[in-house]
Formats: sequence, C-alpha cells, structure tokens
Amino acid sequence: MNTPSSAANCKAQEVVTLLARLALGALFVYMGLHKALEPVDFLKLVHQYDLVNNYWLLNAIAAALPWFETFCGLLLLGGIAVRGSALMLILMLVPFTWIVFQRALSQQAALHIPFCAVKFDCGCGNGEVFICRKLLENLSLLALSVWLLVGGERKFSVRRIWGSAGSSP
Amino acid sequence: MAPDEFFAVAFGREVYHGRVETPATEPTRRPAFGKVLGEALLVALVGTALAFAANALSPRGLKLSQNYFLTGAKAMATNQPAALTTVTDSTNSPAGTNVSAIAPTPVSVPRLVENGLQSVDSVQAFRFYHDPRREKDLLVFVDARSEESYQRGHIPGAYQLDPYHPEKYLLEAMALGKAAEVIIVYCTGGDCEDSELSAMLLRNVGVPNQKLFIYTGGITDWASNRFPLETGARKTKKASDPKP
Repeated sequence: MNTPSSAANCKAQEVVTLLARLALGALFVYMGLHKALEPVDFLKLVHQYDLVNNYWLLNAIAAALPWFETFCGLLLLGGIAVRGSALMLILMLVPFTWIVFQRALSQQAALHIPFCAVKFDCGCGNGEVFICRKLLENLSLLALSVWLLVGGERKFSVRRIWGSAGSSP
Repeated sequence: MAPDEFFAVAFGREVYHGRVETPATEPTRRPAFGKVLGEALLVALVGTALAFAANALSPRGLKLSQNYFLTGAKAMATNQPAALTTVTDSTNSPAGTNVSAIAPTPVSVPRLVENGLQSVDSVQAFRFYHDPRREKDLLVFVDARSEESYQRGHIPGAYQLDPYHPEKYLLEAMALGKAAEVIIVYCTGGDCEDSELSAMLLRNVGVPNQKLFIYTGGITDWASNRFPLETGARKTKKASDPKP
C-alpha cells in the first residue's frame, strides 16, 4: 500500500528524472550541433588526440559523432528510447573522459603545471576549458545518464503525449 | 521482432512475456537488461545511419575519402631538394631575402623539420611584408585559416588557401605559387598546423620547397605586434602600408 510519504518520494523522483532527461538531452543537442556545424574544427581536435592513423576512420568519427550526439539528445528530449540512449551516452562518455584525462596528464607533464591548471579544447563542444571542470562536468553527465538508465522516466515523452491525444474522446 | 515489439522497444513500452504493457503500469517496472541492450543497439544503428546521412547532406559536411592531413607529405618532403629548417642568413636565403635567425615557436619546429619546411618569425615576416616584390605578387602571404577567420582579420593582401577546402582556392594559389619567389604561409600560430598543410598542398602541386616559408607565430603573433591587419575580402598589397 502506498503511504503519502512514499507517494511524495515517488513524485520527487519523477521530477528529478524528468529534469535530468531534459537537461541531458538539451546539452547533447547543443554540444552535438555546435560540433556538427563546424566539422573541420572538430576533425582537427580529434586529429590532435592521435588515436587513429587511418584517415577514413578519422573522417568517419568526426563526421558522424556530432550528429549522433544530437540524435541521442533529441531522443532524450522526446522521451524516446530513453534507457537505450542513456546507455549509448555512457558508452561514449566513459572512453571520452578517459582520453581527455590522459591528454591532460600528458599536458601537465609537458608544461610542469598543476593538474587543474591544465586548459585545452577537448573537442567536447565548449571550447577551451580547465580540465578539472571538464572532468567534473563529464562525471555529472555520467551520473545523470546512469540515473536515466536505471530510472527511465518518460513523463512528457512523445509517446505519452501522442498516446493521451489518441485516447482522448 | 514483431512490429508491436519493435515500437515497444523504440518508444519505451515494456514487453513482458510477449505482452505489451499499458503506459499506466510502466514507471513501476523495469525492463530486462537484454531489452535495454536491444534498445541501445537500435539507437546506435539508426543514429549512425542518420549521422552519416546528415553529414552527407550538410553543406559543411566532411568528405570521408579526403585525407585532410596529408599523411604522405613526409615522404614527399624527403624527395624535395635540400630543405632548410630555419633560414640563417641572406646567402642561404633561396630568394635572396635578408632573413636573420630567430628561433620560431618551439612547438612547431620539430614538425616543420619533419616535413622539410622553413620557418620565419615576426621580424622576418614583417620584413617580407615591406619587401617591394609584394606589389608584383613575387612575394605573397597565404592565409591558411577558415574563410570566417580570414574575414575577421588577415595580413593585408594575403591570399587564401584553407587546406580543408582546397577546391575553392588551390587553383589560384597554385598559379600564384609558381610565379612567386617567396610564399609565406601562416595560420593562427601556436599549435596550429594548417599553414603546414597548406604549404604541403602547394608543394604537392609543384611549388618548389625553397619558396615556402611558414610564419610560425601566425596571425596571433602578427596582431599582438600591432602589425597592420585587413578585414573582409583581400584589398591591398602595398609595401608602403603604415608601420606599427
């Protein structure tokens, strides 16, 4: 049986999840489009990581990734395939964060400066940022993605809105 | 997968024992991990297909088959005649220019050496800028940045050669490069390698290595020295422009 307090908790959880979904979706749409509209700039940044030697692969990553991020963001905003999108974001965020962390370490070693003083454009869509801030930001995004993966709230989703419109007399 | 189940996965309806649940029961149940994986796979497949389609349709999209970074340039550089890394005096200067030895930005030097290119610093670049040969296009500055950056401010009289859009500029740059005695290529400066890419593009179309110089400080260095700048399209190339 539901007590009033558990119902209130449930409601609060729903609101947090909804906000997480909308915030994450909007952020990924913004960052994705920012890169997608200037693909050459993003290509140069990806190239700086020196991860792939094959130019076909490098071009494919730089061409597809921004649009893919935008797509995932739109899915989250629309409440479509929320858990699947959240899982995809986790699968992208974990390696990105690790690569950015590794690059920051190498810059710190080269420049002999404190770790948090390291600043560069990681290709994440926000321009030059201090590394500690970037890592915190990525960890927050990861936490939100995990929350959505586990919770997967779909209030105000496209399906709900369509569904209720279709069922109304 | 039946159509009902497909939409159930894509739109978040949970499927249990082959039955599609109504939305009212949804928040209290969580789908099996396999279902989430299936949903993620669907997102990955559809997302990737749409991403490549969007890139293909976008006017700014990347050409997947184009090597934007000229990885074969190093091999070409070794076939070029005696490339200098930094011009040391007027007798070594291929075009008879009076160039002194001042160390360029350390970040760029190893890369330039590796690619067999020569470098100039701000003093040398400014001297080139006042060289009378510039009026006859025998000495040209080439801006390797994007169109947008060029419009915001460039070295007066500089020509454009964005290495990521060679189709727009290469023909003109090639003609200029073949006629000119000295070509100074620059980009933003610092870590920017676009000037090297443009220089290598010119070299690939037959411009001799000896004519090519990289202004390692780039526009950042030029502007910080308060040297003259021109905005918008290319207008002037006068050596008598005001000194800073």
